[in-house]
Amino acid sequence: MGEQKFDVLPRGVNQQAFLKAVEAFRKLLGDENVLTKPEQLIAYMKIMMPVDEAEHAPSAALTATTVEQIQAIVKICNEYRIPIWTISTGRNFGYGSAAPHHRGQIILDLKKMNKILHVDPELCTALVEPGVTYQQLYDYLQAHDLPLMLSMPAPSAIAGPLGNTMDRGVGYTPYGEHFLMQCGMEVVLANGEVLRTGMGGVKGDNSWQVFKWGYGPTIDGLFTQSNYGICTKMGFWLMPRPPVYKPFSIKFDSEDDIADIVEVLRPLRIAQIIPNALVIANALWEAGGANVRRTQYYEGQGVTPDDVIERICADKGIGQWNVYAALYGTREQVAVNWQIVTDAIKALGKGAIITEEEAGDTEPFKYRAKLMQGIPNLQEFGLYNWRGGGGSMWFAPVSQARGSETSKQMRLAKKILNKYGLDYVGEFIVGWRDMHHVIDVLCDRSDPAEFKAAYACFQELLDEFERQGYAVYRVNTAFMERVAQSYGPVKRRVEHAIKRALDPNNILAPGKSGIDLETFKG
Amino acid sequence: MISSKYIPIIKIRPIIVGVVFSISLSVHAEDSAQPRDGEIVYAKICGYCHDVGIGPNIKDRQLPPEYIHYIVRRGLRAMPAFPEPYISDEELKQIGRFIY
Ligand SMILES: Cc1cc2nc3c(=O)[nH]c(=O)nc-3n(C[C@H](O)[C@H](O)[C@H](O)COP(=O)(O)OP(=O)(O)OC[C@H]3O[C@@H](n4cnc5c(N)ncnc54)[C@H](O)[C@@H]3O)c2cc1C
Repeated sequence: MGEQKFDVLPRGVNQQAFLKAVEAFRKLLGDENVLTKPEQLIAYMKIMMPVDEAEHAPSAALTATTVEQIQAIVKICNEYRIPIWTISTGRNFGYGSAAPHHRGQIILDLKKMNKILHVDPELCTALVEPGVTYQQLYDYLQAHDLPLMLSMPAPSAIAGPLGNTMDRGVGYTPYGEHFLMQCGMEVVLANGEVLRTGMGGVKGDNSWQVFKWGYGPTIDGLFTQSNYGICTKMGFWLMPRPPVYKPFSIKFDSEDDIADIVEVLRPLRIAQIIPNALVIANALWEAGGANVRRTQYYEGQGVTPDDVIERICADKGIGQWNVYAALYGTREQVAVNWQIVTDAIKALGKGAIITEEEAGDTEPFKYRAKLMQGIPNLQEFGLYNWRGGGGSMWFAPVSQARGSETSKQMRLAKKILNKYGLDYVGEFIVGWRDMHHVIDVLCDRSDPAEFKAAYACFQELLDEFERQGYAVYRVNTAFMERVAQSYGPVKRRVEHAIKRALDPNNILAPGKSGIDLETFKG
Repeated sequence: MISSKYIPIIKIRPIIVGVVFSISLSVHAEDSAQPRDGEIVYAKICGYCHDVGIGPNIKDRQLPPEYIHYIVRRGLRAMPAFPEPYISDEELKQIGRFIY
């Protein structure tokens, strides 16, 4: 093993130093938990972004299962200045997947650290390790017959609550803004110390998963979308499963309806009449979810013509916009709220409500209804068959929940995407007062022209939206530095001051959200 | 390069797993040393796409184990790649036997 030559090395680390570090990792974790061969690392290299995979090639991957091992790993990383990119379940598709921010970083893969440490059925809380998947937690709740509901992102079965929440992801139940429901974290710092946030530092405490703020500065947020620590445990809240669950959809026929839809739904959402993170999905997003492939309808190049989209809508019973929302509660509560919702749509004078009974077994209603109830599935991967070729980047600008804004953003995004021959495939995920306007910039990675167009398109989307005062809430690894610039120089200086204080050797995920002591010159 | 005279202080201390509540359900882990049954892994991961027309049907097609290994580790178009800590080599063999 000692003679191994490494094809990929971390920035500024030579073969000899890297070999020493690898030997130290092997001693600590055992050979089987230190992956360095190209055929072992290939599984971390499938990025969906239209950039060269080599730019994101890891030099090695480690798997750890205990906090003590992670403490010892950061010690070795400090000694040899090895940058480490932590993943929990590593399913960050469209944001960089499991690949590191840049070439040469070592992956710390915590998938095997997968204990469900605690579920409290009365206080409705959970405490999990990084490798726990939503499916695992779902099966656990089912097996123990616990009347609790999970909130999960669309790649639910294979993703995990800790990784998703660390990247401030979203789900579709009333607990859909996941970081809002997070309560208590354990974090290994770059110097090896173990920090517990909130009430977690108090000896003998039993409120870690029920009171978020603790005392003094509340610092959980600092560890999300950042590189200040390695999260090894996360607490979060679970929703009690309601006696009645009523999912529904509202179909709208015109693309121009988006403004009215938002105006009618916002008051219902803010007042919690509709309590969940409802979505408003456009026709092509729906087509993907209904297993439609573009080639079934259109063999041409470039943007899908409007008449083709209309044909798909007619064939599949899809609207130009499709709202998915649900009511939760007792029979009486749901009946009252249902009346309010149906009255509001009637007063609007457009939009066809579809109930679960009417939708029957059809997609995409079926998978949406599952997501809003916290039942795992992967139906939304149908999006990648729409165009084919495996390329995807999420462009996810934040919008006010205001009709004029959503309409403006939709038109702007569509114009730019179409200019590059790409389709607008978008949805709005409604928070309380905001919307995540999530657009899947889909491309065929095997088509060099489309690959190039998608990259240029993403750049222009970021530039144009920034000019109009918008920015994204999260982005893939290729564009993290660019997006950090949108949020202004003072924030960046503060972020780097914290980085210098907590991780002076820059070993934890340099580049994440644009935080990198080596490249930042501000 | 960053020049720092920083010497890391590593305090290794045992971590108490879990918090003791009065009503607490026991710690549950998937035993990563023990391969999961092929049928279960198929149902909890692969089947979600391959049984519903998102991915092609892969059952009863006598797919060679080497081919399954190759595709799962690399992914293919819409299909993500799964590294060894996610689905082990042994589990892949068992999936292969199950869908054969
Ligand atoms: C079809 C499709 C639909 C999608 N829909 C959604 C959706 O509805 N909502 C949504 O949020 N996303 C969605 N995604 C994006 C993504 O797949 C999910 O967010 C997924 O949950 C992220 O992967 P993960 O949970 O495995 O987290 P990971 O990949 O493990 O983690 C995500 C990131 O968090 C950081 N991180 C992870 N673990 C740690 C740790 N222990 N310590 C410190 N930092 C850490 C790392 O930077 C890592 O890259 C979708 C993707 C696809 C393909």
